[in-house]
Amino acid sequence: MAIADLPLLTITLLIPVIGTLAVFFMKNEDNAKKLALIFSLIPLGMSILIWSLFEIGGGYQFMESHTWIESIGISYTVAIDGLSLPMLFLTTLLIPLSIVFAWDTKKRQKEFFGLLLMIEVGLIGVFVSLDFFLFYIFWELVLIPMYFFIGIWGGPRKHYAAIKFFIFTHVGSVIMLLAIFALYFESASVLGYATFNMMDIATVSPTFTAAFQGAAFLALLFGFAVKMPAVPVHTWLPDAHVEAPTAGSVILAGVMLKMGGYGLFRVGITMLPEGAMEYYWVMAALGVVGMIYGALICLAQVDLKKMIAYSSISHMGFVLLGASALNLVGVAGGIYQMFSHGIVTAVLFMMCGVIHHKTGTRDIPKLQGLITKMPQASFILIIGFLASLGLPGMNGFVSELMVFVGAYEAYSIFIVVPLITLAIGAAYYIWTMQRILMGDFNEKLGNVTDLEKYELIPLAILVVFIIFLGFYPNPLLDVIYPAAEAVLGGVLL
Amino acid sequence: MIPLNYYLVLSAMLFCIGVYGVLTKKNAIYVLMSIEIMLNSVNINFVAFSTYNGDMSGQVFALFSIALAAAEVAIGLAIFLLLYKRHGTVELNNIRILRW
Amino acid sequence: MTWVEFSYLIPIIPFIAFLIVAFFGNKMKEGGAPVTIAAVATTFVLSVLVLFDVIENGSYETSMNWIAGTGLEVGIYIDSLTALMLIVVTFVSLMVSIYSLGYMHDDPCKRRYYAEIALFVGSMLGLVLANNFLLMFIFWELVGVCSYLLIGFWYQKPAAASAAKKAFLVTRIGDVLFLTGIAMLYVKFGTLNFVELEHLMGHDVQGLLLPALLLFAGAVGKSAQFPLHVWLPNAMEGPTTVSALIHAATMVKAGVYLVARSYFILEHVPDAFLIIAIIGGITALMAATMALVQYDIKGVLAYSTISQLGYMMLALGAGAHAFGYTAGMFHLMNHAFFKALLFLAAGSVIHAVGSNDMRKMGGLHKHMKITSITMLIGSLSIAGFPFMSGFFSKDEVLSSVWHAAADNNIYYVLYAMGVITAFLTAFYMFRLWYMTFSGEQRDKSYHPHESPKTMTIPLMLLAILAAGAGFSFFFGFQDFIYFGHAPHVTIVHMFEMWQTWLSIAAGLGGIGLATLVYYKGTISPSTFTAGPGRRAVRHMLEMKYWMDEIYMGIAEKGVYGLSLLMDKFDRNVVDGAINGISSGGIGLGHASNEFDKGVIDGAVNGLSKGSFKGGKALWNLQSGRVQDYASMMILGVCGLIVLMMLTGVIS
Repeated sequence: MAIADLPLLTITLLIPVIGTLAVFFMKNEDNAKKLALIFSLIPLGMSILIWSLFEIGGGYQFMESHTWIESIGISYTVAIDGLSLPMLFLTTLLIPLSIVFAWDTKKRQKEFFGLLLMIEVGLIGVFVSLDFFLFYIFWELVLIPMYFFIGIWGGPRKHYAAIKFFIFTHVGSVIMLLAIFALYFESASVLGYATFNMMDIATVSPTFTAAFQGAAFLALLFGFAVKMPAVPVHTWLPDAHVEAPTAGSVILAGVMLKMGGYGLFRVGITMLPEGAMEYYWVMAALGVVGMIYGALICLAQVDLKKMIAYSSISHMGFVLLGASALNLVGVAGGIYQMFSHGIVTAVLFMMCGVIHHKTGTRDIPKLQGLITKMPQASFILIIGFLASLGLPGMNGFVSELMVFVGAYEAYSIFIVVPLITLAIGAAYYIWTMQRILMGDFNEKLGNVTDLEKYELIPLAILVVFIIFLGFYPNPLLDVIYPAAEAVLGGVLL
Repeated sequence: MIPLNYYLVLSAMLFCIGVYGVLTKKNAIYVLMSIEIMLNSVNINFVAFSTYNGDMSGQVFALFSIALAAAEVAIGLAIFLLLYKRHGTVELNNIRILRW
Repeated sequence: MTWVEFSYLIPIIPFIAFLIVAFFGNKMKEGGAPVTIAAVATTFVLSVLVLFDVIENGSYETSMNWIAGTGLEVGIYIDSLTALMLIVVTFVSLMVSIYSLGYMHDDPCKRRYYAEIALFVGSMLGLVLANNFLLMFIFWELVGVCSYLLIGFWYQKPAAASAAKKAFLVTRIGDVLFLTGIAMLYVKFGTLNFVELEHLMGHDVQGLLLPALLLFAGAVGKSAQFPLHVWLPNAMEGPTTVSALIHAATMVKAGVYLVARSYFILEHVPDAFLIIAIIGGITALMAATMALVQYDIKGVLAYSTISQLGYMMLALGAGAHAFGYTAGMFHLMNHAFFKALLFLAAGSVIHAVGSNDMRKMGGLHKHMKITSITMLIGSLSIAGFPFMSGFFSKDEVLSSVWHAAADNNIYYVLYAMGVITAFLTAFYMFRLWYMTFSGEQRDKSYHPHESPKTMTIPLMLLAILAAGAGFSFFFGFQDFIYFGHAPHVTIVHMFEMWQTWLSIAAGLGGIGLATLVYYKGTISPSTFTAGPGRRAVRHMLEMKYWMDEIYMGIAEKGVYGLSLLMDKFDRNVVDGAINGISSGGIGLGHASNEFDKGVIDGAVNGLSKGSFKGGKALWNLQSGRVQDYASMMILGVCGLIVLMMLTGVIS
């Protein structure tokens, strides 16, 4: 029996489930992180294995389908394609790195690491499930541990932030659910049987009336826009990030925001091409406004973490812009941007955590001349900033370029407007670098030391990804392009 | 012959004395005795009207009534005895078990 | 087998050197300087070999696929232009890195310096070798980052830190436009490869003006052309070697190189040529005027660099059939030599004096003869003294503009601006030289001494080229670097033209005037500020036409103000609206809660409370005492009797 015949995805999904339970119920609190690390490394190994067995351009693979609740058409269907594979890999990569990064967590370790694994379950589930029912369960499952994450290990306004986070994303989910039900019933009347299976629905949904597609698309877009997040439903993000512990921010910005983009491609554009074609301008407007607005607000921030949070809003705008172009380069660029933003923003939030941890503050005006005390950290921060502002040779540039090329095809010279973001992006990063790294060291910060080993290792791994994918994006793009083609299947007809 | 009114007035006076006794006395024994007085005032009425009307049935009722009163006293005293056993008193103010 | 096949090593060797120095530099002598110098020297040798190959065999291209599905590639394209740039860049880099041995000897962060220099050289060579616009842009950004890092090399100095930021951001504006232009070309033609684009150009030349101008906008940022020139003077906060290498000889030439590289696009849009020429002319004249009032020795050279870059743009803007291409690239080469020389000589002076301020200098000639003489050669060259390299290239630039004027009268104005610039250039360069080296030492607090050999030898080598490189024009250059067809200019022919004599007169006039003012003292410098009108002009020049203030205004009041406003908007309006909705929701919740409690529950509770209260009242009546009940009964009976009597039931 070949390896590929094993239910690989189910195993990948189950291991963190077992891990969560094991960590929750273990006796020795101090070993929680070790156990959690082991249980998060296995899925990473699994996703690497899946990647190596993945057939490029082969559509959905590793599919497992079992009927579950037959009467209303619910099944356990999981599979993976070029769209979800990078996301799966990103998830399984960032979770162990966050665990390593949070190695010195003291407060309620069992719960901390257990919840991290629980988030992993939800995220993996979202990216692999092909049944709306399953999809929605996992979608919601992610919320709960994150809520506790912010609420327990958060900063001073953690309760406010946790509740805001929960309510926002939940409202988004509910509206998304509405659209899912609409799709379910509409497809049932065409298919003759009711099913939540995404692939079955996708076969008929492009033929629905334009009016239905438009309405359903807008509802879905709302749900995903909250998650991404797009202006003006973004304000939960800065609060959640500012209050969340570093590992939480890394997962939140690194993977959870991608759920919105993933849903947009997997459900929104794939299933409702006519809706997407009708309302592409909504996506474009949301994207462009988010890009410029987020970037401008970054300039005004004094809290380093809040600045990075707003920069996420700006960068997720690229995904929307790329999606709105509805052409191959744009969509592929959007998917690539999701991945590369996940990597870069993880570095930035980790660095932010390091700086806060070492100096006791995140206030940009109070930080000064860190380069003298933390050369390694400064080096990585510079790389992170440069990658984030889209410097060629780093992964952010590839995706931004692709998005712009795609957008240019669609909107011609109007792309000058979103291009302003690149200049503003450079402005806030370079200015921040000047303020916190250069100049004389601010002695009030006390005895500041450089990176610890457990901080350096995850950061170094991510930096390798940044530079490798900047110079050689092909391994990822080879996987993404066929997926982008599939996403656009209905649009390009 | 003594006019009927005299009997009736006597009976009414006795009745009122009985009522007074029932309402004001604290001790259950006194109350029982007052009730006896009231019963006797009623007996006087029975006998007086019987004589006045020449009908013997009034006399018979009076006898019945005396017999019943005797039984009543016996039962009443038995109740008081039990009350006393339970509460250690027959002072009516202290026995308010009718109220919840 | 030819040497060009190894040309891919040219950028790779410095990158390897960068990695070696960055990781192991601390364990090496001079912070890894030998590695960097060896790497640069190797690239220089390779470049020379490649040059010979190109002369013999013509252009060469190789490439591999890069971003899958987009047709974007990584590759090398070498033609005569590339070969020229390679020689210029590697030679100047070699000179500067040798010079750095002496100049940076006492700096504690040498490792970082040499690592960043190696990275810069690699990126610059990559930029030159790129076979498509995208790859060029990538290295374009990388040299920008190196420039950023090296300007901010002494990051503890706030001025250096903010200069680095300014340089990055101002050039970034150009870069964004450049990228837009690239995207436009890509969407229009589906490729960014120079050769393929040139081929496709023949079929479709509609709508090229905008992309052409956007490409030029990138050049404006990088080559510090008006109106994005403001970053270059500040960039002098970096070490002088960096100014010489990056901000005089190589990186700032990238813009000029880009324009030359895009000639095959530009030739289809004559309007773009005119705009380039106008921007170049304005930059040349404006920067020259600003250089007049500088007291900072590097400041003069910085404005001079801007001015000369403007000259190159002016030449390129003259167009292909006026030989602007040849003239511009010729000036680029000569300028790289003499400006690197001037900067390095100025660095030598700063090394000796410990200050940039020319008012503290004077009389240095007797202490530092080599520096003084090499700098004199550089100054003569840039001033256009006959037979020095600058003379030939400046003359070629002016004559190409004059040729272009045959088609468009605006070029006459630009020609006049060029001549005036030549005059001003000669004047401020000799003002600089006289103030530094002649007369008496004005500040006696230091003891000047000649710089070590590692610094003077590069000066001498550069001086030889600055003096003699001009003759190369007649011995191969004009037949090697040209667009369309080669010019055939001879020295004899040159001196038959009155324009040549005019430019000689302008140069000598400037030198003469400077001599009178700053050497002979026949004319007092105060003459220039006599009277309110002249003072106002001087003030305007000292304030650099208020360009910095305007930009700061835009950046601070405009962009930063807008960002603050947005932030407030976000916190108050968007978040406020959200919070408003939520507090509205909470309020609604409270209201319904109140309604629930007050009205609905109230009704139920009221009923129960009423009966409860009634019960309570009645409860008090029930004393539990038999006699109370009895009295009540009697009262009742009495009441009944009274009632019966009143109603007449009983009479």
